[in-house]
Amino acid sequence: MARFLMRSVISTLVTMLIVSALVFTLLEVSGRDVTVQILGVFATPEQKESLRKQLGLDQPGFVRYIDWLVGNDWRLRDELGNVQTVFNEISQEPEWYVLLDDGRFVRHEVCSRVEDIDSGFCQPGEMLYLVRNEDASFFRENAGDVWTTDPETGESVFWGVDIGNRAAKWVEGGGDTAFVSTQTGVQELTGAAVQWIPLRKGLLRGDAGVSLKTTRPVSKTLPIRIRNSAILAGLAFIVVMPLALFLGILTGINEGSFFDRFTSVTSLALTATPEFVTGVLLILVVGIYWSNNWLPGLVEAGFLPDWALESFKVPTTTLADSPNAIFEKPKELILPVLTLTAVELGYIVRMTRASMVEVMAAPYIRTAIIKGMPFRRVVFRHAVRNALLAPITIIMLHINYLVGGLVVVEVIFGFQGLGKFIFDHSIFGDPNAVEAAAMVTVLIAIVTRLLGDLAYTFLNPRIRYA
Amino acid sequence: MTTTVQPESAASRQPSRLAKIWNNVSIIFDSPVAMVGLAIVLFWFGMAILSLFWTPHDPNEQYFRDQRRSAYIMTYLPWIDLEDYDEVTRPKPEFLLGTDKTGRDLLSRVMAGGQVVLLKTRIPLPTDDVRRQDEISALSRLLDRFVPEEWDEVVVPGGVAIWGVIGSLVVGTTFGLLAGYKGGWTEQIVMQIMDALVAFPRIVLYIVVIASLGQGDLVIIIAITVTGAPGIARLSRSLALDIKTRDYIRAAETRGEGLLYIMFREILPNARGPLLVDAMLRVGYAIFTIGTLGFLGLGLQPPEPDWGSMVNDGRELIFSQPNIVIWPAIAISTLVIGLNLFADGVREELSRYQK
Amino acid sequence: MTKEEKQMKEQMYEVHPQIPNAFSAFKEGRISRREFIRFATLLGMSAALATACSTPEVVEEAAETVQEVAEEAEEMVEEVVEDAEEMVEEAMGGPARGGTLTIGAQLQLIDHPARLSWIEGANVVRQVAEYLTFTDPDNITTPFLLESWEANEDVSEWTLNIRQGIMFNNGDEMTADDVMFNFSQWLDPEVGSSMLGLLSYLDGMNSVEKTGDYQIKLTLTSPNIGVPEHLFHYPAAIMHRSFEGDFIQQPIGTGPFTLEEFSDGERAVLKRREGYWQMGEDGESLPYLDEVIYVSIDRDASVAGMQSGQVDSLYAPRPADFLALKDNPDMVVNSASTAQTLILRVRVDQGAPWDDARVRNALRKIQNREKILALAWFSEGDLGTDAHVAPVHPAYDPREPDAYDPEGARALLEEWAADTGNSLPIQATIVTKNDAGEQEYAEALKEDSADTGFEFDLDITEASGYWERWDQVPLGITAWTHRPLDTMVLPLAYIGDSDGVPVPWNETRWVDEEFSAILKDAEATLDVSARREKIGQLMDIFSSRGPIGVAFFKKVWGLHTSRVHNMPAHPTSYDLLNETWVDPA
Repeated sequence: MARFLMRSVISTLVTMLIVSALVFTLLEVSGRDVTVQILGVFATPEQKESLRKQLGLDQPGFVRYIDWLVGNDWRLRDELGNVQTVFNEISQEPEWYVLLDDGRFVRHEVCSRVEDIDSGFCQPGEMLYLVRNEDASFFRENAGDVWTTDPETGESVFWGVDIGNRAAKWVEGGGDTAFVSTQTGVQELTGAAVQWIPLRKGLLRGDAGVSLKTTRPVSKTLPIRIRNSAILAGLAFIVVMPLALFLGILTGINEGSFFDRFTSVTSLALTATPEFVTGVLLILVVGIYWSNNWLPGLVEAGFLPDWALESFKVPTTTLADSPNAIFEKPKELILPVLTLTAVELGYIVRMTRASMVEVMAAPYIRTAIIKGMPFRRVVFRHAVRNALLAPITIIMLHINYLVGGLVVVEVIFGFQGLGKFIFDHSIFGDPNAVEAAAMVTVLIAIVTRLLGDLAYTFLNPRIRYA
Repeated sequence: MTTTVQPESAASRQPSRLAKIWNNVSIIFDSPVAMVGLAIVLFWFGMAILSLFWTPHDPNEQYFRDQRRSAYIMTYLPWIDLEDYDEVTRPKPEFLLGTDKTGRDLLSRVMAGGQVVLLKTRIPLPTDDVRRQDEISALSRLLDRFVPEEWDEVVVPGGVAIWGVIGSLVVGTTFGLLAGYKGGWTEQIVMQIMDALVAFPRIVLYIVVIASLGQGDLVIIIAITVTGAPGIARLSRSLALDIKTRDYIRAAETRGEGLLYIMFREILPNARGPLLVDAMLRVGYAIFTIGTLGFLGLGLQPPEPDWGSMVNDGRELIFSQPNIVIWPAIAISTLVIGLNLFADGVREELSRYQK
Repeated sequence: MTKEEKQMKEQMYEVHPQIPNAFSAFKEGRISRREFIRFATLLGMSAALATACSTPEVVEEAAETVQEVAEEAEEMVEEVVEDAEEMVEEAMGGPARGGTLTIGAQLQLIDHPARLSWIEGANVVRQVAEYLTFTDPDNITTPFLLESWEANEDVSEWTLNIRQGIMFNNGDEMTADDVMFNFSQWLDPEVGSSMLGLLSYLDGMNSVEKTGDYQIKLTLTSPNIGVPEHLFHYPAAIMHRSFEGDFIQQPIGTGPFTLEEFSDGERAVLKRREGYWQMGEDGESLPYLDEVIYVSIDRDASVAGMQSGQVDSLYAPRPADFLALKDNPDMVVNSASTAQTLILRVRVDQGAPWDDARVRNALRKIQNREKILALAWFSEGDLGTDAHVAPVHPAYDPREPDAYDPEGARALLEEWAADTGNSLPIQATIVTKNDAGEQEYAEALKEDSADTGFEFDLDITEASGYWERWDQVPLGITAWTHRPLDTMVLPLAYIGDSDGVPVPWNETRWVDEEFSAILKDAEATLDVSARREKIGQLMDIFSSRGPIGVAFFKKVWGLHTSRVHNMPAHPTSYDLLNETWVDPA
């Protein structure tokens, strides 16, 4: 067993590595210009180029993948000094600082603020320390002459950490031009950094990076989406499983009856209808016709009491108008759950039925019946247990497939879950977010498969994992 | 390498071959389920083939000129009744299923919607004017050398769903048989890659593949191939594991046959039953996939109809004209049902046959 | 008086006895159309109806048959009764305070408002931070955070007088320093604001001068009449002088709401603030609403949500959304004519065939304008005349759009082919996106070009696929947004810089000396009627040798549930919620 687990863990990690490299490569070759997504289509090439540099996208893809995987602070130590993350209690996000020898955490900025220049605090172009206070605020301090000479170009340069959590390379007197109006008139300032490398710890060290689409750490936005999807899928699971197994067993026992045929045809039709059709039709029929037309009619005709008018209405979409909307308005989950149910139900019913039919035809069942054992007991003691073997593994494998269906359902209902996260960020071309989400889905796929294997072992004592 | 046909075995098989195939095929006549499935599938194939030659209307023609265009225009002014407009899209003899939002006949489009799924694959060729972003143009460029100058598109028989499944069959069986037959490290590595592909979130794969290669039939085929191959690899591996213990494999090995010969001439023919059934189900999944992609706005190129894109086009009109969505949806569903029934029936018969 | 007119007047009489008189005055030219509409609506006639009555077609041709008139009359009466009922209701209640408004819109990243590139985000910012000027839904610009503005004779010097006593939501008063700060942000290339291009007549901050605590003077390097309109461009929200570049961290503005929560891709929650400078009808500070929530869902979900009462309004409804909701009694539809349009454009710098004006003219001739408008935008719009100047623009010079003329196109192409030795048909690919009517436009062109010597392929992708190459493709359809002034859009896309190199957004690379000269002239002409003459010349150049075809200009709709009042539709889909109120629950 231990060896089996060991092997599973290693195989899982290898799988995740392969997938992450694959995702990265695909996003890389996609030629999708993420700067267009951020700046809008009318940005000038210069603006796009500037942003590209600020995002560190001018680095080779391979380097960025390694950065993503294992971080880059360790390889930038030479330039930056002792660079570390400090957790900001207010924003609840980690921030990068350089730890100076005197124990202070600082970031860097070029003197360019009007009030600093006007007050004579610093001269334009000088480096400033942003020294961190205990409460995560900071004060400015003149850093003095920190410039070093780049042996290759002979320029006077400085590597520091800017306020955007990036390693930035400043060139003394270099950079782009900006206009700033001061008391003494308008000044042209230079001083923007010339190269940026977003600092990160890397996924292996627990840092999934910052989403380009939201500019927030993925680890802040993703968990809530996973939670939402888990609730949605969990609810669907709770509805589907008992119903499907029950129907599957019942039809399996009564093979060939009218009930069997009816259920089989219905479940086949449900499976064969894509979730996007089911969802759209449910919105139309339940959300609109039922809630807006039929329900008021029924109430008016006296078939339903007045309070039913509001209570029986089914919302057509899910609104994330507060972080916990999913708990505040559970009614909004009705249609998404129904859609997932419709798609999954048929599949599992068919699996269970097929398995049940096979088991019921097995010699030992026939023997048991012939021996005069009560039919009920035969079914529940012997047949069901064996018949569930196949469906349970298949159901577990199917959870992976469900993630695909989840995307469509979440897109249709505007549900803020993992599926929509994947869809939106893939369309945007946001590597960190897509990678993180992909890792989650890979994990789901592998863990459910392992669970399927284990369940199989548990239900079938003849199998042992060496 | 192993392409030389053994004259002896070929001669011995020749006479019985047709009969053997017929024998194999005829088992489906024993299954009413398979027959119903086959009927549905053939119906849609028939519709698609028919639509190549005849449809009630041109599927891409927008019928406004003949439909009292001025009335149509007037009706959209908000203070004027919609009555006239409804007359255009409402089902009536001329347009049995009504028209879509651009005035195209839905019946003709539903009929022709099967073409790209089942019957034909379009490969656009690079011409001076066409600056398509498709980076898949390596194949297009290659093709371009062999076809007449004036062609700007090559149409290959066999629809996107069919080629997608054939693609995953080729890739899947190659890897699966290799893994199953060779075992050891080969198996470990191949199956690890396949597992990774299975675990890869499909939708990301689709979106990213389409984003990187551009929209087009070939891209969808690649997407279907990549997502379908692992399942087939898994199946063919387990079949190979079973078959490789048989005596005739040992015999072939003793004869000194090559790896490929054993994989494709000895193991594959004996594994084809379950593989074919699986492939049939996969055609269903592929149609699903094409539909889903169309729905997400990542489907095949307009204006030639495909059912998924039709659903997507009509989705925004679902509240005012649900029929635009319903008919292509029914087409997808019934075809998938048909394929499922057919596969079920065949599987049932096969298992009985083998017993 | 014709029979139709008499019938129409009878209905008007039912609404209010004075309306028929006003109508006569309008017909005799004593009052303008706008005055008539204002008068009629004041007396209870629905705006749509008043507009319908006063459109030239209706007035001159009325309806063609008695039958149709009778039908129309019936509807008008119905509508008038409905409107009257609504008005009575409103009159009884008056604006109510409190309540939450929920709007569906796709939210993306917001950081620096000056860098905004999408209006959904600007709509969130707009509730918190405001603009110096205000262009109303009728395209008339007035001072807003400004008290007034003055321009000198040749419109090269503008004095902006800032309204006093306006408080930021952090308690500071807005002064010239804040405005100076914002100008410096807009003009800072590093900020990357699209205002920089718009304010190209300013030589950095050298042209902006603080002349008092509440006064700023702009000295333009070249005269421009668009200054007030430019100051209402959506990235021009006035931020506090301490603003450091992230709106989410520092949502300090003068607007009626404060930003409570912003979660990209999920929601923006805005809460009413106290002490806003504008007063409501009840003499208290605006806004009436307590809370505005933008939820990030796509339009399909918004439309579904509106029908189940979960969502009150949605951002920029598409034609299909309009169709789905307009007959729903719980919905209110407003519409506004705009200069939003789809530009059928070619690149003229890539040689044959598009470098030849005859080919471009042929392309213009195969536009079946009414059909395109019907297909692409459900006939909700104004026909275009192949000039990027819309009927809503102040200096628009009215003219008849050219008719669909395949024979004419064929003749032109044959002439071109004979002259240049090229062969027909011209094969080309129309590249465009699939989200706002472009696909229908392209498909109609493909269909209507049969036998004209053009043979089109279509390459239609989702929006982002097109925007990645919008200025690169040889033949494409590009969506252009509304700009309130005729002279605002033309310098963006149809001229070259001082060296004659096409400006960045010149997707056609077309640079015409005569055109540029007249445009420069027009840009310095404040008087509308004088400018109209020049714009007319530009429109003629467009239709005789320009690089584009313009089949129509879109209308936009404002759709909201009937519990919402006073939420006007704006040509640029701006949400103007200062005076919006909802029925008490």
